[in-house]
Amino acid sequence: MAGGYKYFEAIEKNAGLLGILTAIMVSIGGLAEITPLFMRAHEVKAAPGVKPYDPLRLAGKDIYVREGCYLCHTQMIRALRAETERYGPFSTAEESVYDRPHQWGSKRTGPDLARVGGKYSDEWQRVHLKDPRAVVPESNMPGYPWLMQALVDPDEITQKLRVLRLLGDPYTDEDIANAAAAVVGRTEMEALIAYLQGLGIANEPAAATASTAQAKP
Amino acid sequence: MSAFWSGWIMFLVVLNFGITLFLFVWGQFVAIPTQPDGTSGHVWAHGVLREGVRRLPLWWVLMSASVFVIGMVYLVLYPGFGSYKGLIGWSAHDQLARESAANQAKLTPVLQSFEGRSVEQLAAMPEATRMGHRLFVDNCAACHGLDGRGNHAVGAPDLTDQDWLWGGSSEAILTSILDGRRGTMPPFQATFSNEDIERLANYVQSLSGPPHSPSRAAEGKAQFTVCSTCHGVEGKGNPALGAPNLTHARRLYGGDLATIEQTIRYGRSGTMPAWRTRLGEGDVRLIAAWIYAKSHGGDAERH
Repeated sequence: MAGGYKYFEAIEKNAGLLGILTAIMVSIGGLAEITPLFMRAHEVKAAPGVKPYDPLRLAGKDIYVREGCYLCHTQMIRALRAETERYGPFSTAEESVYDRPHQWGSKRTGPDLARVGGKYSDEWQRVHLKDPRAVVPESNMPGYPWLMQALVDPDEITQKLRVLRLLGDPYTDEDIANAAAAVVGRTEMEALIAYLQGLGIANEPAAATASTAQAKP
Repeated sequence: MSAFWSGWIMFLVVLNFGITLFLFVWGQFVAIPTQPDGTSGHVWAHGVLREGVRRLPLWWVLMSASVFVIGMVYLVLYPGFGSYKGLIGWSAHDQLARESAANQAKLTPVLQSFEGRSVEQLAAMPEATRMGHRLFVDNCAACHGLDGRGNHAVGAPDLTDQDWLWGGSSEAILTSILDGRRGTMPPFQATFSNEDIERLANYVQSLSGPPHSPSRAAEGKAQFTVCSTCHGVEGKGNPALGAPNLTHARRLYGGDLATIEQTIRYGRSGTMPAWRTRLGEGDVRLIAAWIYAKSHGGDAERH
């Protein structure tokens, strides 16, 4: 056993071999934690009430991603009492099946948004997105005033629906045919607000609701 | 979890433990060849830096060994080793349910002491208004402000004064919170000329007193008959429609002439969301109690 130095030496003096062996050891954790969930992701089915995004909300979701909202806001209420008390029932995988990519996030500079839909009025959302400090004086969120002028691109939304159907989302021919008309002339602000106002309301699975009914009086 | 993926995880866990533990133990015994000067012979910077050979400090060896022990104990007690549930049967959802139940046990007697009491009575109970204020800050302050004084930017009314859009009785406050309110003022730019709108704005200002032109106001009085349908002949508003009382100086969207002209020209649409499903009636009654105490001259302190 004491004579093993030559093996250590061989690895330490060969950067390529050291790199390969390091990569193998580091990947073991990922193989154990990620692969099983990844290979079984298709078994996660939409919870009752979880429907594919309508065109306006889909456009809003892409604006949410484009503007990097996920960098400061999570959409993932963890199964911890402090979170279920503040934000509502904990999030489940079944709620995110139509989110490509999911917006769970990992950083909360602002509050979690998984169930923010309906908490504030559309008007509040509009004022807040334009100038957050007009309604929340201590907020450090940036304003997004350009969303008020920018229009949603109707051609693009039709393409997006087609691609999502290719990936397995149950859009009908009729949905795709009517998609462009649903967003014509709508501003990006309207789209983003439609998306935010839908978060967690229509998409709240019955199981999670029941668990909060126990948790809350 | 299927048997295959459970086995997959177990295999990788054992493999990882095996390799690292073997290297850790083996490494303790490997003799590193040394030069006569006690170094390994590795040099940097033309011999200025030489690599010494020392035994690993005991604290380091023990700390590393404890990492293996802690890891193994964790996998025995907690879920993690494939589909094995762990000796103590812990789960995140169980912990949440336990903690919620423990909190509920503390909360229930407090909530029971509020049961069967009117909002007016609750407003006189410091414990109720304190809880109501916490709920208000978390849910209502975004529009009405931390102190409940409202916000012109979203047309959120001041809840601390005596001026109520939809009525200030405890029932009206409860209804406003539980079911929400929707106040709509139609746009009048098609009905009135720009000059008429300016006259009307001056007349509206004259009802409550802020700076305005009295002559223009007098000219606007005739047009106000259109407005009186909702705001009343004297401009005192109508709580059934949520039409604001214009004789109060505090304006929903701001009290300057330009804002009032804008309101007349383009109309307004204000929404108070419904909270019945989100908060439940118990929480809403506590919020109503805090608002009631705040707006009715600090009943809470008097009792």
